[in-house]
Amino acid sequence: MVIKLENVVKVYRLGKVRVHALRGISLEIPRGEYVSIMGPSGSGKSTLMNLIGALDRPTGGRVYIDGVDISRLTDDRLAVLRRKKVGFVFQQFNLIGKLSALENVALPMWFAGVSRSARVHRAKQLLEMVGLGNRLHHKPAELSGGERQRVAIARALANDPEIILADEPTGNLDTSSGMAVIQLLEKLNHMGKTLVVVTHDPEFGRRARMRVKLRDGLIRGIDRNGGT
Amino acid sequence: MAVLDYLIFSLRNLSHHKLRSFLTLLGVIIGIMAVVSMISIGSGMKASLKEQLEQLGSDKVFILPRIAYGTAAVTLSDDDADAVARVPGVAFVSPLYSVAGDVAYRNERKIVKIYGVDPEKAEATFGAGASGYQLLKGRWLQRGDVYKAVIGYGVHDDVFSRDINVGSVLRIHGVEFQVVGVFKKTGDREKDYTIYANLDAVRGIFGVGDRVTLIIARVDKGADIEEVRQRIERLLEDRKGSKENFFVMTQKEIIERVGEAYRVVQVVFGGLAAVSLIVGAVGIANTMVMNVTERTREIGVLKATGASNAQVLRIFLTDAAILGVAGGAAGIALGYLISLSINMAAARYLGEGMLTTAVTPELVVFALGFSLIIGVVAGIYPAYRAVRLDPVEALRG
Ligand SMILES: Nc1ncnc2c1ncn2[C@@H]1O[C@H](COP(=O)(O)OP(=O)(O)OP(=O)(O)O)[C@@H](O)[C@H]1O
Ligand SMILES: [Mg+2]
Repeated sequence: MVIKLENVVKVYRLGKVRVHALRGISLEIPRGEYVSIMGPSGSGKSTLMNLIGALDRPTGGRVYIDGVDISRLTDDRLAVLRRKKVGFVFQQFNLIGKLSALENVALPMWFAGVSRSARVHRAKQLLEMVGLGNRLHHKPAELSGGERQRVAIARALANDPEIILADEPTGNLDTSSGMAVIQLLEKLNHMGKTLVVVTHDPEFGRRARMRVKLRDGLIRGIDRNGGT
Repeated sequence: MAVLDYLIFSLRNLSHHKLRSFLTLLGVIIGIMAVVSMISIGSGMKASLKEQLEQLGSDKVFILPRIAYGTAAVTLSDDDADAVARVPGVAFVSPLYSVAGDVAYRNERKIVKIYGVDPEKAEATFGAGASGYQLLKGRWLQRGDVYKAVIGYGVHDDVFSRDINVGSVLRIHGVEFQVVGVFKKTGDREKDYTIYANLDAVRGIFGVGDRVTLIIARVDKGADIEEVRQRIERLLEDRKGSKENFFVMTQKEIIERVGEAYRVVQVVFGGLAAVSLIVGAVGIANTMVMNVTERTREIGVLKATGASNAQVLRIFLTDAAILGVAGGAAGIALGYLISLSINMAAARYLGEGMLTTAVTPELVVFALGFSLIIGVVAGIYPAYRAVRLDPVEALRG
């Protein structure tokens, strides 16, 4: 299992109020799996993704990423884990506006200590792979939404991580560029990456082999295509 | 190189907010400007002082009346000079009378400084030592020279529209003097623009009897100059009733007195520098806090893509360091301009070579290093805030 959650609880404090975002989630995701997470707004999808991506620590329970329990890791160990094992794709793209497409893609490699020339070389390759070989030096503002999301996907791949986490990657895109992004993500899955996608779009969600339904911080059901 | 990556990343940010960055930096700019001009003036003063005192010589005691409200509090006379000459340890004395007088050459008239000197002692007093006066043409004043004069290079070359040479005749208050020698350029405006003539003749023209304005006493070889100085001081105290009204100084004391004047400069500039640098540091800290707040989401992205706390810290410290160094560089440039204008003003009003301020490479490196440290120190707290941001919160914007 590349991802394993045991009875995970996440509680946010808003002043005196406690918000129970996750109330006890147990989930195992095998290596190379294609998982969709669906559920109403506020059901805890993003919270779950942040835990799987080592951006956050659970309030209770255990989260294993590639066998490592992240609940008790230091900030620095978490950073290393994110750098090596996880690539994030966000609904708002979250590219850095003053950097070019190439520099955005190279950023995670900088943090990983890759040499400048190797960074540029690989960033070019990745941008070519997502079909943006002719947009290397464009700033995000000079790119369309679909193109921005493809830059973000290239960035997620920079350090060749095991896991790709996409939180509503098509939420800000029109149908056709959304479809292109979906196909790109699925291509990565075919190449062996574990793909976890949060989506509101049932059509998109149905394409995954493993479908997780959340509600009120709990798993309501897991469907698997052609099995279980 | 890792440092380079941080620099490139930071420069991308700062060029976004040029005006704000500049305003932030005013404090640092003014502070570093003050530091640079202060140090350059200070080292210039020390260097030119040292040079001048070497010219004066370390074996001489200078006796002069204290000037209060534009006039001398006491007068010194030939008798005082003779009495000083009899003090044990004094080899010989040169009485001097200096005055600014009306000098005519052909049909031009100018006000020029005139030194009345004892012709017999002139060469021994002024010509001694490697850095003393040197003749360009003609000869020194000699025993028996009365209406004869030796002129500084500026008088020869510059004061009148025609050059004055050996053999030319000048009229000082209508009395004719024949020029017998021209000194080489010393670089000291006071010396170069002076006419040197017989003490008694000059005093006669100006009707000042046996008054002297300066007595230079040269001490015997091997004598303790401070002891001789004290003896002279005691002698004059007896003769004048109080030692409040005249100075008896050696080279060393003159250095100390100028050093005191420089200390005032240091306190003023140093205070200005300290205040501005504190203001500058606060400005940088303030800008950096804004910077961190504005870039909250970016910080979330940096962390999500694998930046460690140390890397985030370095990113923001680099920003602050660049701000500091940029302010420092601008301050150095302004300080250099100030130093340059002081040089020009000093050359014009004090004489060439009187004060040569210098912005040395060491000073530039020091100032840059200092502004770098200011930037980094000012950036610590804002950078720490960036580090402390929770990545999930930061990504929410
Ligand atoms: N930082 C936070 N502080 C307080 N409450 C939070 C925080 N983050 C999330 N929550 C709350 O936790 C619950 C789950 O939020 P989460 O963002 O995971 O939902 P979601 O399923 O991603 O919703 P959406 O589909 O709208 O993105 C919500 O009730 C939300 O208000
Ligand atoms: Mg969400």
